[in-house]
Amino acid sequence: MREKETTLYFGPQHPGITGNMMVKLKVAGDTIVKAETHVGYLHRAFEKLMEQRTWMQSFPIVCRICVPEPDPNEENLARAVEEIEGREVPERAKYIRVMVLELSRLAAYFLWMGGQAGTAGLYTVPQWSVGDRDYILDLFEELTGGRIYHMYIWAGGVRRDLPGGFPDKVLRTMDYIESRLPEYDKLMFENAIFQKRAKGIGVIDKDKAMEWGVVGPPLRGCGIQHDVRKDEPYEVYDKLDFVVPTYEGGDIWARAMVRRKEMEQSISIIRQVIEKMPGGEYYNKVPNPLNWYVPPGETYVKTESARGEFGYYVVSDGSLKPRRIHVRGPAYVHGVSLLENILVGANISDVAMIMNSLGVCPPEIER
Amino acid sequence: MNKNLYNENQTIEEIKNTFHTAEIKLQRESRIIVKLRSDLIPPFLSYAKNYLAFNHLAHFSCVDWIEDNEFELVYLLYSYEKNIVVIAKTRISRDKAEFVTIKHLWRQAETYEREIHEMFGINFTGNDRLNEFILEDWDDIPPMRRDFNTIQFAKDNFYTRPGREDAQDVRETITKKSGEKIPDFAKEFSVRNLK
Repeated sequence: MREKETTLYFGPQHPGITGNMMVKLKVAGDTIVKAETHVGYLHRAFEKLMEQRTWMQSFPIVCRICVPEPDPNEENLARAVEEIEGREVPERAKYIRVMVLELSRLAAYFLWMGGQAGTAGLYTVPQWSVGDRDYILDLFEELTGGRIYHMYIWAGGVRRDLPGGFPDKVLRTMDYIESRLPEYDKLMFENAIFQKRAKGIGVIDKDKAMEWGVVGPPLRGCGIQHDVRKDEPYEVYDKLDFVVPTYEGGDIWARAMVRRKEMEQSISIIRQVIEKMPGGEYYNKVPNPLNWYVPPGETYVKTESARGEFGYYVVSDGSLKPRRIHVRGPAYVHGVSLLENILVGANISDVAMIMNSLGVCPPEIER
Repeated sequence: MNKNLYNENQTIEEIKNTFHTAEIKLQRESRIIVKLRSDLIPPFLSYAKNYLAFNHLAHFSCVDWIEDNEFELVYLLYSYEKNIVVIAKTRISRDKAEFVTIKHLWRQAETYEREIHEMFGINFTGNDRLNEFILEDWDDIPPMRRDFNTIQFAKDNFYTRPGREDAQDVRETITKKSGEKIPDFAKEFSVRNLK
């Protein structure tokens, strides 16, 4: 006899949901038969607002598209404006940008680690990882004035130069974080509970991953070695030495291991950046922000964020304001079409684990 | 920067040979812009996916060119093999905002089409899931169209709390209400005054 189906609303008020969204589940017993993503709780019409603001006024808006990792947004918009205008950026600014991007990647991975372990019932990891993330936020506070939203990268360079003694502080924090990683291995990655909950769950088909639009750690967790930093190097990534870790399996465990290995790569990149950073200007003079006409043109720029390819399609019509800025967040695909499909057949208790491992982030879906 | 554009030029040649009416431009390294007639878009996307290995639909966007009375649909395809982004564009009339779905080629296109349907009011025939996505109970014109006036919408639907109208100094209102003088810290404690 077929079990009776019930509807279960997972979110928007649920400790396991990754932000203000809801997944409407149809379940038979413990097994999910159908999943539907519902967003709209966080829509703030950023793309429309930016059409009515100057280019410079758009920078404080874009960083709010992603809370755990706002910097790829700023970098994308800055690079898009520079590309349409043909504006040069000083070498020092490029190095500082890479440092900020990698620091934000580390901060995002710490937050992910807390969420992922929390959904498996390991509640010590969130306490640790959020605490360790705070050391990175302290660095951001000193550098930019803001802990979460930085508004630091803008067209033409970065807003301020590094404060005195800052590189040493970054290196000290990196040493500390590196010394903490084995502790996290013992607590989370080598933990039998986590391994049992992660292995073989939420599997993405390797042959279909590219076609389904999977990007970032979930793609590399399928054993496919692609990273925007290597495929289409931006800023100074082509001058830095790092590898793109992959892992076979396509499940939550594979994605977790990819992220764990990438943390080491990020630490190594930050050290290289500080070692190689040249002196000189940190921004090129830009026009008066209130009178900044960007010539007509269009561009598509992309960045590798902690969750995958973050793209901006930007169109300018030669006026003071952007004609169109359309954001492609990795969660747009991961959180709707991919999630709806891989949740089918999963257990109710694994929904939060799967969502976390895909990096679903509703502000990107609805902007 | 003198990079080898072999892949780009080869792709342009292949597209040119198959779609004679396409306007093709090499924007920069690894960016090709292809402008097509609207009826050629579905065959082009299918050709690009199946024969040219552009199997990643990176993005699908829409731009409202209200001065030309047209919508521009922009498909961004990426090839992991060739490392090229093809920006395929076409224009459709604003009066007859209708186009065909491509969800049979990429299933994630369904989500993009749902958003564009909601934000621009373009109907995608063949997509049976054009239901409410981001907005809730929306009965105005689609909000991302250029003729939608956000300021007027806010004025019509929301009210300002008395005493908090725009362009007012909140401190003045507080002073008037409570009768006490709120100091202007910026003025009194500025570096010049302290000296």
